[in-house]
Amino acid sequence: MAEDRLMAQSPKISKSRLWFLVHSWLALPIWFFVLIVCFTGMLAVVSQEIVWLADPAVRANKPDADTERMSFQQVLEALNKAEPDMVVERLSQPDGSHFAVKANVTLPDGTSPTLYVNPYTGTIQGKTPDFNFEAFTRALHGWWLVPFTNGFSWGWYLVSLLGLPMLASLVTGLVVYKKFWKGFFKPVRTGHGSRIFWGDLHRLSGVWSIWFIAVISVTGTWFLIQAILSDNHITLSSRPNVPVIAREQVPQTPDGSPASRIDLDEAARLARQAIPGLEVSAISLPATAYSHVTLSGPGWYPLMFQSASVNPYTRNVDSQFLISDRSALEFVTESMRPLHTGDFGGLPIKLVWFFFGLILTLMVLSGLLIWTKRTAQATAAALKRTERAPRALRSETTVEAHT
Amino acid sequence: MSQAKALPTSRLKQLWLKWRFHLNILLILIPLGFMPKYFADARLFRGDAGLGANLISDIQVGPYSLDLAELRDEAPRADGPAGYFKSFNASLCKACIKDVKAAYLRIGKPRSLRAAGTLFFGAPYSMGTSLPIPPRTKPDAHIWITLEGWDGTLHQASIPLTKASPATVAWLEKQGENK
Repeated sequence: MAEDRLMAQSPKISKSRLWFLVHSWLALPIWFFVLIVCFTGMLAVVSQEIVWLADPAVRANKPDADTERMSFQQVLEALNKAEPDMVVERLSQPDGSHFAVKANVTLPDGTSPTLYVNPYTGTIQGKTPDFNFEAFTRALHGWWLVPFTNGFSWGWYLVSLLGLPMLASLVTGLVVYKKFWKGFFKPVRTGHGSRIFWGDLHRLSGVWSIWFIAVISVTGTWFLIQAILSDNHITLSSRPNVPVIAREQVPQTPDGSPASRIDLDEAARLARQAIPGLEVSAISLPATAYSHVTLSGPGWYPLMFQSASVNPYTRNVDSQFLISDRSALEFVTESMRPLHTGDFGGLPIKLVWFFFGLILTLMVLSGLLIWTKRTAQATAAALKRTERAPRALRSETTVEAHT
Repeated sequence: MSQAKALPTSRLKQLWLKWRFHLNILLILIPLGFMPKYFADARLFRGDAGLGANLISDIQVGPYSLDLAELRDEAPRADGPAGYFKSFNASLCKACIKDVKAAYLRIGKPRSLRAAGTLFFGAPYSMGTSLPIPPRTKPDAHIWITLEGWDGTLHQASIPLTKASPATVAWLEKQGENK
């Protein structure tokens, strides 16, 4: 209160007080929106793991110790045997050997489910449910469910714009928290009322989350830039556009039966031969008679994928996009998404991202609680003062005493 | 903050102070409002809602037949400098899947296989293509389906655009009026 009286006497708002007010106002009118975006982002990081826990069909259980994992071609053959009329379009092994292989297929009735296939036995264990938890959390977090009709959805802009106030709240938070570097081991005071408790917790989680808030807000702002670039038809990518296979390379058959193509394992072998060290975690089967077998997988730099397109008739690797093909700028831009989602180092990194996502969600909540308590008190105090001397009323919030 | 001072004078500021937290409610209403659309789209992309809108069944193309539908009953969508596109889906008759090497779609009759139009991608039970729609297309135009056999034979059929996509024709008529 002493400080408050000081403020009322001083005609000028001090700089740190201004910073403080900016900090307190950054998320406020939209705090619930910010809270849900943080919360769904936290869930999206581990959505794949949540589905793994909830649905046994998603797990890759080994029947016994001696059984080895099947190759992609063996999985394909098992699928073709189980469902001869089904068309398999893509096979992928999620990051983590405890996940079942995913198969994108189309059934004769025209439906296109994603099947979960056991990588040891080739059995179809299940399919993605109609309510796809992973897709839903990502859509809610990423574009607020606003559909993409013309370029990027405006929901995408709405969410990615939050990167800016988030960055600003980090900067202003550090400015108003004097000697924040001494705050890493400050205990949270209990027994002094909830206002003090939430304030201490907010600051403690804040200093530990500096790096995380910086990463999330910078990468979030990148999503905004990405949408702006894309909607203005500017591309930074050096990824080659793979044209369809030339007509003369696709054989004609006198009897009218489909021309034979190399199998998936052969395609993987050819790709590895051309690109030493290529890891294959996903294979897209040709989508037309004039399409390639496309193989992709992680490379030495964990934040980017490499891919190669093999011509299934000539056995030639027609196109490739490796980590070494990226420009310096692409190293930055392509790293943004995995840095945002924590999807570049398996479960341990995801858990770190989940934990700090939880902390960030709590910071939004504690920030709001602090604000409500302080504002309620400040308003009451201000009203009291107004009754006594209307001219003394200068502000509706008081400066925080514990900075 | 100078807010308190300005409070009695500015009506706008007063409104802002009174209603600012209702922004939260407005923002929450957005995903709630789009949720039915989200699930309808998810159904459509899973193929649970059929091929799409304005389905034309059993179009005879030489010895083969196929079903054609537009993905959505709506005008073509702009894709920047590339122009306007309309998504169509098709499914081949079960008996002809083995024989047909490729299926193409084009506005107006193709003069040769090289100009057969856009390729249909995906499983023959549900293939898709993105058809470029030049804004100067005549509203009475036909769309042509070309099927290419593995033996090199070609078969063609056409259907009026009005039947395949009434919304595209309405859009073309509007384009004509604006010129």
